[in-house]
Order: sequence, then structure tokens, then C-alpha cells
Amino acid sequence: MRFNRTILLTLALVLIQTSIVPWLVPYQWSDRLLPNLAFIMTVYVALFGGRHAAFLFGLGFGLLEDLLFYGHLMGSYGFGMALLGYLIGLVSERRPRTLAYTLLAIGVGSYLLDTIVYLVYRLFQLTDVTYGFAVYWQILPTLLLQLIIALVLYLPVRRRLLKSASVSGEENAA
Amino acid sequence: MRNKRLFILMIGLILFIAMLGFTSGRTGLSWPERFVNDAFGTVQGALYRPVGAVTEFFRDLGRLSDVYKENEQLRLTVAQYTQDKIRYNQLESENARLKDELGFTERQKQLYNYKYLIAQVVASSSNPYDKTIKINRGAHDGVKPKMAVQTVDGLVGIVSKVSEFTSTVMPITELDPTSSDRISISATVLGKEDQTFGIVDYDKERNMLQMSKIDENAPIKEGDLVITSGLVNVLPKGILIGTVVSTQVGDFGLTHTATIKPAAKFDHLTEVFVVVAPDVDAP
Repeated sequence: MRFNRTILLTLALVLIQTSIVPWLVPYQWSDRLLPNLAFIMTVYVALFGGRHAAFLFGLGFGLLEDLLFYGHLMGSYGFGMALLGYLIGLVSERRPRTLAYTLLAIGVGSYLLDTIVYLVYRLFQLTDVTYGFAVYWQILPTLLLQLIIALVLYLPVRRRLLKSASVSGEENAA
Repeated sequence: MRNKRLFILMIGLILFIAMLGFTSGRTGLSWPERFVNDAFGTVQGALYRPVGAVTEFFRDLGRLSDVYKENEQLRLTVAQYTQDKIRYNQLESENARLKDELGFTERQKQLYNYKYLIAQVVASSSNPYDKTIKINRGAHDGVKPKMAVQTVDGLVGIVSKVSEFTSTVMPITELDPTSSDRISISATVLGKEDQTFGIVDYDKERNMLQMSKIDENAPIKEGDLVITSGLVNVLPKGILIGTVVSTQVGDFGLTHTATIKPAAKFDHLTEVFVVVAPDVDAP
């Protein structure tokens, strides 16, 4: 995995996520579709770069997002993305990196991340919506959008961000 | 090996919970945070505004047919406004004269003399429980935490974190009634300021504002305009919050609550005003 390029690309994606995506989402959907592009990249790092790299990557970009969104408290994304980056890296250590598996990891991961963030805000009594409402209102629509974005990013990531030796797809990341 | 991993996980969990607790309810920012916020804010501003201009342009093209109707309405409003302006000038000069005669101090006279700082929105958050927006004015321009932020339509939110050149605004939709660090918005009804009083908060599941603790004899009805009262010192006086949609009897039957449709939009914002109240307590 080419980490310098990945970090630069993810920084650009964070800027796009905060400044351009809000304009593209229709007004009625603006608090339902909240894609987290840095998290998608964290899952790619976990799959193609190993769990330790994904842990640091998720921690760094999670804390960056926390700082940029800082309203009530910070740390929820740092915690969630670091933990999920590590876990996804751990679980998928000896599995083939197919497209279907990548999408499954991103789907499950983004569901769990939004759940962790919800639980943190619930724990600190900063929100009083029920979990069922949060799932229906925000988590599922966001998950579907993230899957589409992950599909769009899949080819560029495999072509540009992986070293040519590991593109064959079947071997383990070191 | 297993134990070591579990140990690190536990330490990490404790560190993060400590961090969550420490950062909740804090108003200041340390210098690395301010630096990162400002650095990102510059680039975000360069992206957000052009993209916003383009999307707004296409949206306006879509509703070209409404422009005629809107123009008609605006003309009526302007006519009304001119009349009100004449009346306002008379009342203002009379008010100033009366204040002079009654011996108001300079501090009392300056109390409601608000200044408006215009600011551009540069980014918006994608955290569903912290839907903050970022504006390109900061401590350098005199913005302080807990100042009110409005658009031309009405109250949007409250400044929550301030960096040198950017600041974060928390929309009133995030001021949850049950949250632990809430800020109450004390509100009243335009034209009945001395008879109605209530506290406004946001109901996330219904997407409406709610005004509670209204006296049961208060003359509040559908279509009334709700404004900030300025009685609790956080927000300045007289900023439009929304329109009353319905009123009902409150939880214990002793007070009434009213459902309010917010006047301002909270998304796709381009320009906002930070309301700077005069610093009357400064020496």
C-alpha cells in the first residue's frame, strides 16, 4: 500500500466531505445522508494495508473529523474508527480481497461506526432519539450511500494506491 | 499475547472515555486545535463557496416561474416597510429623548445596540449528533463563544467554538431539551412581549421546534411570530425564531406548549450574521 498517496487522497476526501457533499445532498435528506469518506478509506487500509496501519489511520483521521465537527464533545469518531479499523483488519487477515468482501466490510463497518457514535452521544445524554429511529433515519440511508461511494472508489484504490506486487488480490497483506 | 491485546484495548477505552468527558462542555480550544481548524477552514472556504454558487444557480433556474409571484410579494412588503420605517424613526427619536429625560445611564442606553458581523459558511459537519457549521470569522474579528448567529430569515444557532479565523456554530436544532450542556432559548411572541414567555427547544423526531412552559392565560395562537426575549442573558433580544403551528396543553396540564416551525433553514447556508451584543460590563 502506498501510504503517502493514501493520506493525501484521504485529506482531499475529508475536504470534499465537509465542503462539497453538503451541497450535493438534497435539502430534505441533509440530516439523513451523512457519508464518512475517511472511514471508507480506513476500511480500504484495513483490507490492503494491515490492521496496525488501519488502527493508526483510523485514529488520526477520526480525531481530525472530531476536531472539525467539534460541537458537544470530541473523540467518538477517533475511538470508533480506530477500533473498527483494527477489528476489520484482524477479521479479514486471511481472506481473499474480493469486491463483495470489501463491500460487506464497508457495510458492516459503517453500521457499527454509526452505532458507536450514537451510543457515545446517548451515553453522555446529548441525544434522546431512540436507537430504532436513529437506524431508520440516519444509519441505513448513510450505509447505502457509503456502499455506492465505496464502489466508485474501489477501482482507483486498487489501481493507484496498491503497490503493483499486491494487485493480484489473493495474498495476505504483510 | 491475547492478554496484552486486551490490556491495550482497555487502556484505550479508558483514555477515550476520559477524553470524551473532558472535552464535553469545554468552550476554549488549545492552539493545535485552533491551527488545524483555521488551516482546514481556508481550504474548505475555497471549495464550499464556488460549489454553493453553482448549485444555487441551478436551483434558481429550476424555480424561475416562482420569481414573478415572489416579486409581487416583495413589492407589497417594501411598501409596508416604508410606512413602518417612518413610524420607527419617529418612535426612535422620541424614545431617545425620553431616555435622556429619565436620566438613563450610558450603559443602559447601549444595552440593545447590536452589531451584525457578516460571515460566510465554509463547511458543514457530517456527524449526525453534532451537526455544526463552520464560518470564516473568528476571535480575530471579535467573535466570542455563545454569540447568536442568524440569517436574514431568523435565528440559526449559537457560536460554540472559536479559533483565530474560523468558528463553529451549533444550530438550535442541536440544543436538545434533555442534553446535559443545554442552553435554553427564552422566547416571547411578537406584539405580546409582556404577556407571553416560554422556553424553546427542538424535537428531533418531528423536525419542529417546541416552546414550553407558556402560561395558560397567555394569548398565543396559530400564526404568531416567536422571537427571542433576551431575558436570559445568552441570546440578544428580538431575533425571529419561527411561526406557531399549533398549541396544546403541556405535560402536567398547568402550562401550555406550542409547536413552532423554524424560520431559518439550517442546511445549504451561504451567509450568516453573528450578532455582537455591546460589551456593557467591560470597564
